[in-house]
Amino acid sequence: MKYALFLGCAIPIKYPGFEAATRLVCKRLGIDLVDLPFACCPPASSLKMVHHPSWLALAARNLCLAEDAGLDIITLCSGCVNTLKEANILLKQSETKRRKVNRILGQFGHHFKGAIEVTHILDVLYQDTFVERIIRNTQREIPLRVGCHYGCHYFRPPKYMYPEELSPTESYVPVKMDHLLSIIGVEPMEYSRKFLCCGYPLGANTDQEAGYALTRQKLSLLNERNIQALSVICPSCFEQFDMGQIVLDRKYKEKQRMPVFFLTQLIGLALGMSYKEMGLDVHRVKAKKLLTQVKVE
Amino acid sequence: MTTLRLWQHFNREDLYECYQCARCTGSCPAMEVAPAIGPRETILRCLNVGHQQVAEDERLWLCCTCHVCEDRCPQQIPIGDLLVALRNSAARRGNIPGRLGMAIELLAKTGRSMIVHQLDEMRAHHGLEPLQPVAADEIREILRKTGLKEVIEF
Ligand code: SF4
Ligand code: SF4
Repeated sequence: MKYALFLGCAIPIKYPGFEAATRLVCKRLGIDLVDLPFACCPPASSLKMVHHPSWLALAARNLCLAEDAGLDIITLCSGCVNTLKEANILLKQSETKRRKVNRILGQFGHHFKGAIEVTHILDVLYQDTFVERIIRNTQREIPLRVGCHYGCHYFRPPKYMYPEELSPTESYVPVKMDHLLSIIGVEPMEYSRKFLCCGYPLGANTDQEAGYALTRQKLSLLNERNIQALSVICPSCFEQFDMGQIVLDRKYKEKQRMPVFFLTQLIGLALGMSYKEMGLDVHRVKAKKLLTQVKVE
Repeated sequence: MTTLRLWQHFNREDLYECYQCARCTGSCPAMEVAPAIGPRETILRCLNVGHQQVAEDERLWLCCTCHVCEDRCPQQIPIGDLLVALRNSAARRGNIPGRLGMAIELLAKTGRSMIVHQLDEMRAHHGLEPLQPVAADEIREILRKTGLKEVIEF
């Protein structure tokens, strides 16, 4: 299996540990990742809100690069997958939009054809082939009670994110991360308001304090269920929870200490990779003690 | 490229489909923690005072872009499209939150949403190669042609 790896901005620049963990895990599982000169996705919560035509054109440029390489795109971020999937569908559906975008991109040697698909690392790892390979390659179980947080943009709105799976009146309820983690010995925990926003876009665009108020609420609901750690599939959600705990601690003098993992870090640990290889040493809330307790060194 | 036309992006007739039931606003996380307008009132105000006034309201930007509102709406009103179109129109009037404006300016100038600072060292710590540079000039040129300058100087 071969994909064009779309890193986005936050992962390679703020959280390269996730990139390292993902590359190692993919290599072990036989997923080939090809690097292409992609630029910013750009985010649905920023450029799209301000100037939709610019958002569509930049997203289309990224899609064109993958089309030229003949590869589907794999993303590691709920924001990137949201933008690229929606733009891909809008352009495939509308001749007018395609013509407008190609008139501009044509001047730079790009042409959107609509030849590829966009997916997220979670959806790839959830395929039977890779589930089997994870089971076969698991060297140790990770016996932690983990709460999964999917990130709104990974699955909403379902009309763009999972159009083939639902009727228009249904809501998409994501389960793949919970299932995937259960095969490496994690105990995926249900908790109240599991699909509530982490608070990041609200904080980043307008009101930081309001954004962290949502984070705090989520953390308290996780603590209520005695959950030991969080698993995320988006660098923005990660930042909101990891950095957020430091900020909230300072403000409310609470001792919130719930380690946050990026999905491929947990999978890598199960495949026998080390704490350092998975880039866990640079997280603000350290997972070392918790992992030692369950004998994952 | 032309700008996003509000009633082309969102069918104006859909405003009349709204029950004003507030299922959207009742599930809106921004409403819980910030003085947001909320989707129900946004729709009502579009009908009563007109979208121009809504587009001038700074509170329009208090939103998580989580799409819960649209997901819960019993009338399947594409609220997300309405909010995008209203904010594009707000941006053309100069109503853009400062932090967001700065983020867009950075993107337009560098082709990335994050500032690259002492990155090689950090990537090496994780055993990674330096990050390949993006075609920032090309991105800037594309954004000139798409008309981003209508809303942001860069
Ligand atoms: S949920 Fe739908 S119908 Fe009800 S108030 Fe909101 S937009 Fe109107
Ligand atoms: S998308 Fe915005 S308006 Fe809709 S529910 Fe989420 S925060 Fe509220």
